[in-house]
Amino acid sequence: MKAHAKKYSSEKRSVGDRIFDVTLIVFFTLFTLLCIFPFYYLFINTISANDLVSSGLINFYPRGIHLGNYIALKDVSDLGSSAIVTVLRTIIGTALMVVVSAWAGYLVTKRNMWKRSLWYRSLVIIMYFNAGLIPWYMNMLMLGLTNNFFAYIIPGMVAPYNIILVKTYIESIPSSLEESAIIDGANTPTVFLKIIWPLSTPILATIAIFGAVGNWNSFQDSLLLMSNAPKMYTLQHRLYIYLNSSSNLSAVMSGSSGASTQALSSLLNTKVIKYTVSMVTIIPILMVYPFMQRFFVKGIMLGAVKG
Amino acid sequence: MYQATPLIKTDPLIKKDTFFEKLTAILIRILVLIFGFMAFFPQVNPGRIMEKINVNTSLFTTALSYETLTGNFGLIMRRGWLTSGNIYFLMACAAVILLGIALCAVGACMSLGNRRMQRLACAFPLSGSALTLLSAFGISYLFKTLSESKNAKALELIFPNALYIFIAFSAVILILSIIRLIQLRGPVEAQMEMEEKYRLFLMLLPVLLLAFVFSYLPIYGWRYAFFDYDVGDKLSRENFVAFKWFTFLFEGSAYRRDILRVLKNTLIMSGLGIATSWLPVAFAILLAEIRSSRFQRFVQTFTTIPNFISWVLVYSFALAIFSTDGFINSFLRNVLHISGANTDYLASADFTWIKMLFWGTWKGLGWSAIIYIAGISGIDQQLYEAARVDGANRFHCMWHITVPGLMGTYCVMLLMSIAGILSNGMEQYLVFSNPINKDVIEVLDLYVYNLGIKQGLVPISTVVGIFKSLVGITLLFSANGISKLVRGESII
Repeated sequence: MKAHAKKYSSEKRSVGDRIFDVTLIVFFTLFTLLCIFPFYYLFINTISANDLVSSGLINFYPRGIHLGNYIALKDVSDLGSSAIVTVLRTIIGTALMVVVSAWAGYLVTKRNMWKRSLWYRSLVIIMYFNAGLIPWYMNMLMLGLTNNFFAYIIPGMVAPYNIILVKTYIESIPSSLEESAIIDGANTPTVFLKIIWPLSTPILATIAIFGAVGNWNSFQDSLLLMSNAPKMYTLQHRLYIYLNSSSNLSAVMSGSSGASTQALSSLLNTKVIKYTVSMVTIIPILMVYPFMQRFFVKGIMLGAVKG
Repeated sequence: MYQATPLIKTDPLIKKDTFFEKLTAILIRILVLIFGFMAFFPQVNPGRIMEKINVNTSLFTTALSYETLTGNFGLIMRRGWLTSGNIYFLMACAAVILLGIALCAVGACMSLGNRRMQRLACAFPLSGSALTLLSAFGISYLFKTLSESKNAKALELIFPNALYIFIAFSAVILILSIIRLIQLRGPVEAQMEMEEKYRLFLMLLPVLLLAFVFSYLPIYGWRYAFFDYDVGDKLSRENFVAFKWFTFLFEGSAYRRDILRVLKNTLIMSGLGIATSWLPVAFAILLAEIRSSRFQRFVQTFTTIPNFISWVLVYSFALAIFSTDGFINSFLRNVLHISGANTDYLASADFTWIKMLFWGTWKGLGWSAIIYIAGISGIDQQLYEAARVDGANRFHCMWHITVPGLMGTYCVMLLMSIAGILSNGMEQYLVFSNPINKDVIEVLDLYVYNLGIKQGLVPISTVVGIFKSLVGITLLFSANGISKLVRGESII
């Protein structure tokens, strides 16, 4: 990238070149601003004085900065349980997915497994074929995986993309390492734990971080499977409900005592609640984002992997 | 390949299995496998002794979930016609059957070992099927007691026919295990061993079972397409309608009009996506033309963020910017002092397709460009130098070196998006849909959701889903075939 960027530096540039450069910089600056403006807009509206927000006066910079909105979130009904469910599924779901992917990814590299290519292919096909939403839903219903927490964890454990990604990575590890361990008497689980797992941490970190983001952003499974268990809604689902709720504040606020509700309603309005809940949902993503960047190129292979 | 197992000395005294002996062993394994799956199928739940128990309750659920089991019991529990003791007894029986099945499964796995291990392996299905038989009698005992109680009529008892199947299965497994044990007489190896290939397979087996249950088992749900099914119904011979729903969809019903409308939306929105699929390539090429690598990194960092937020959050942004009291309107009102500005841009059906394309591009452009940025850094710099020597300017370089260098990746991406033309996901369209734009935003995935989950029309939506799956897989293989033909490389 750097080498490429420098390829003209030693040469004189024409006027046309300069105009082109300036146009590019202007274009990319504008597009970047377009990408980050909504984040910024939401943020300044959550920390500004609420009466200014409701009259639409906060457009480009915050005024009357306070953090009351974030503190007041503790009274927003059901937000706590959603947050706990989402955090739990992100941690447990991601951990199990990584372990299963690593284990399966390692095993499918073993060419002396009985009918290996059949099993491997049947895992690959999953990526491209699905039976459809309704059969899937009826299947989950049949398995009793509705309205309980396991529905978030168990189906996500086998992720074929990630298995293939791990497999491809493990195949690039010199096989002599594994063989020498086997000669020293290590069995398959030992080789996996002592050699494969530590050596494939880069790819495991990649799938972990993308898996975690996916779990955090999950909305569809909550919408489909948790219809009778509002306590199990994920944060995104909860936010979706808030966004679609009418402007009636009491629909969102829990039934706390009259005085405090009144005090709160002067502090909060529905618009601000929506903005603040959105910000709370975004912040964890923004926090892991700097760590994610180094995994981008591997991560995009998650979408364009070869079997 | 290096074999990890120590060299096994074959003792001439140890018999080899004859064909029929092998057959017995394989038969046991197959039966145990079916037995295991039966625990998850509500149709063969030996624990469903009452009409009131939810039809979707499998043996597995019966054993584990008190709530599901007693969900519809309300009255009969309150009046004390059925005690919780009865239910716990039923759950215990189901749990013991599960334990029995688990033991059988362990035995089936161990039967892949050497003769010594197989001999031990026989003990598991023996005890497992014995346990199953025992609790099968437990369930029929419970049934008998309940039917003799004075409120038997109110309980709506039905004898679970699946109980016979379970008894038959465990009896057959029991007999076969005894036969197998007899077959395994005579001298055996000194140690229990299993061949490496089977050990590896057994280690992968749990993963395969999970994959099967969540990705292949749903195909079994296609059967709903052939029945006149309402939520909560039982599938039986009476409501079997063969291909009625298939013909119904295509013979001028109201659904046909809907399907055509939805297909149009789907194809247009996917088509717009495909028509703009060159944007990430252009984005990457132009970004690479910028000399400051710090600026490049800045752009890359901030244009990728939107990819990692969910569609619900994108919708939240859309509300914040475009709704009646959003950014645009308050900007017009308070900064430009246009008093009448309170249009809700989201609550209109105009340009919905373009708007959806805009949000898709906003979210995905920076991210999709990354693969091409990586591709550009992989192009040999000598090519550029040689071209410069030959008098090429930067546009020549872009067009004749960078673009061809990225063409391969672009073709793969394009083919994949053509293969996925019918599946544009439902999240984006679900969050942005409202009563006003409903007709133009509804894509196939969203339509299936609305039809099947919201309206509960399971058979029709299953038919639509089946067509979508089949078309999708056909398109994928065609795309793969084209890729093989043209580029000599497969994409899947």
